[in-house]
Amino acid sequence: MNNNQKQTSKTPWKCGKCGGELQRGAVKASYLGNDFVVEELKCLSCGLVLITEDLALGKMFEVEQSLEDK
Amino acid sequence: METRDECLISTTESFTESLCPECLQRIPAQRVVQEDAVYMVKHCPEHGDYQTLLWRGSPQWESWLRPTIPTPPIECFTQVERGCPFDCGLCREHYKTTCTALLEITQRCNLNCRVCFANAGTELDEPSLAVIEGWYKKVLAASGPVNIQLSGGEPTLRDDLPEIVELGRGLGFNFIQLNTNGLRLAEDPVLVSRLKKAGLSSVFLQFDGTEDSIYQTIRGRKLLGLKAKAIENCAQQEMGVVLVPTLIPGINTHNIGGILKFALEKHPAVRGVHFQPVSYFGRILKEPLDSDRITLPEVIQAIEEQTDGLIKVGNLKPHNGRCSFSGNFIRQRDGSLKPIVNNSCCNGPERADELARKTRTFVARQWSGAETLKIQPLSTQPSNSWDNLIQQLKIYAFSISGMAFQDVWNLDIERLKNCCIHVVSPEGKLIPFCAYNLTDKFGHSIYRRER
Repeated sequence: MNNNQKQTSKTPWKCGKCGGELQRGAVKASYLGNDFVVEELKCLSCGLVLITEDLALGKMFEVEQSLEDK
Repeated sequence: METRDECLISTTESFTESLCPECLQRIPAQRVVQEDAVYMVKHCPEHGDYQTLLWRGSPQWESWLRPTIPTPPIECFTQVERGCPFDCGLCREHYKTTCTALLEITQRCNLNCRVCFANAGTELDEPSLAVIEGWYKKVLAASGPVNIQLSGGEPTLRDDLPEIVELGRGLGFNFIQLNTNGLRLAEDPVLVSRLKKAGLSSVFLQFDGTEDSIYQTIRGRKLLGLKAKAIENCAQQEMGVVLVPTLIPGINTHNIGGILKFALEKHPAVRGVHFQPVSYFGRILKEPLDSDRITLPEVIQAIEEQTDGLIKVGNLKPHNGRCSFSGNFIRQRDGSLKPIVNNSCCNGPERADELARKTRTFVARQWSGAETLKIQPLSTQPSNSWDNLIQQLKIYAFSISGMAFQDVWNLDIERLKNCCIHVVSPEGKLIPFCAYNLTDKFGHSIYRRER
């Protein structure tokens, strides 16, 4: 997958693993035993999910911190 | 190099040390199991034998462990000379760095409560802003920019309270909480607004129940209406409120579920409930009986029983060893509570400074106000977007916790060494909360100035 392109719903992403088309869909995310369903771009063929660096270091990190207990 | 895990060792052994309730001499003590209860048994060569209830029922004493690897304070203000608890300041032998530092900014109070470890109603000169600045700087030197609780007496009686908050924020403290009975916050919404602008993060609101008869008994006045008004005024400023009931057997222990239900009705303005089982300080004519105490497992059981299972015993975990418990939840649309699974604790010894850091971070996040105005209508974004998830985790989070303070009868010096709530003394030393408030049965204190 090309991580240089900005993620928008109109961007025709292709899966770097199998070449399949990416589309927004429900993805299960887990952290410290807590499960959530979030919407992300994922490959229609093999299920690979696009997680951009911005997302990993931004909103995903914020969620992780929210789940870290005292 | 071999690392000796002193806390881990101490929590599994039955021998410890305590103080004599009459002469405050340090004496050997033992934790003794009798059926489903654990007692502290100790003997003073001069004043005889004492037995005090520590724990009763399930979760079992043995299961309630949160072992930590001691880490001393960054800077110690006292030397080890006489041994714990007579060298507090903190000393090099203290196990844990500060989670919360308490600053007592007044000794005046507008209530006259039956249970209080503040010296309400006395006339003493209050510390000036310059003295308070010195205290803040001492905390920074000893522990860094930890969480601050402004306490008293009743801190809202100081007209310069917003300036005190502002001073702390300016020095780099990011979480400042106000420990208050809420009377002035109820009567003076402008004060609440000024405190918010000054940077106050959270209100730790004395809240003993949802029945006026409870306040009449404990505080000498009917206060429920004022408490509700204080919460309303804080909610308008998006100021986080934590309800803090002092639990006294026979007076409000039947109302634990009622308090939680009330808190959830006022959520998200109310960020959580923090239970404090009663402990005994000051002049006590008669040694407290077992029936005068409610232990942590009894509080935990009552939470499940009195909420009809809305909150389960298994969702509450040990926090600071046998001193406390906590559980965190996300309130769902149907009113149920989804527990946030806590796998970050209880899987082996943790460094004490790391645990203190986690506690500070959690408290600052959970007990601060939820910015409800920023909630976007669900129609403008997918219900399962990351933004929505972040908002849910912040706004709909609800915490339930409890902390059992120690008095001279149940004092366990191993527990005291593990304390991370530290009071700043007038001289700028950091004293573990239970050591600072401890008195013998005649009301004489080790650290607090005699009145």
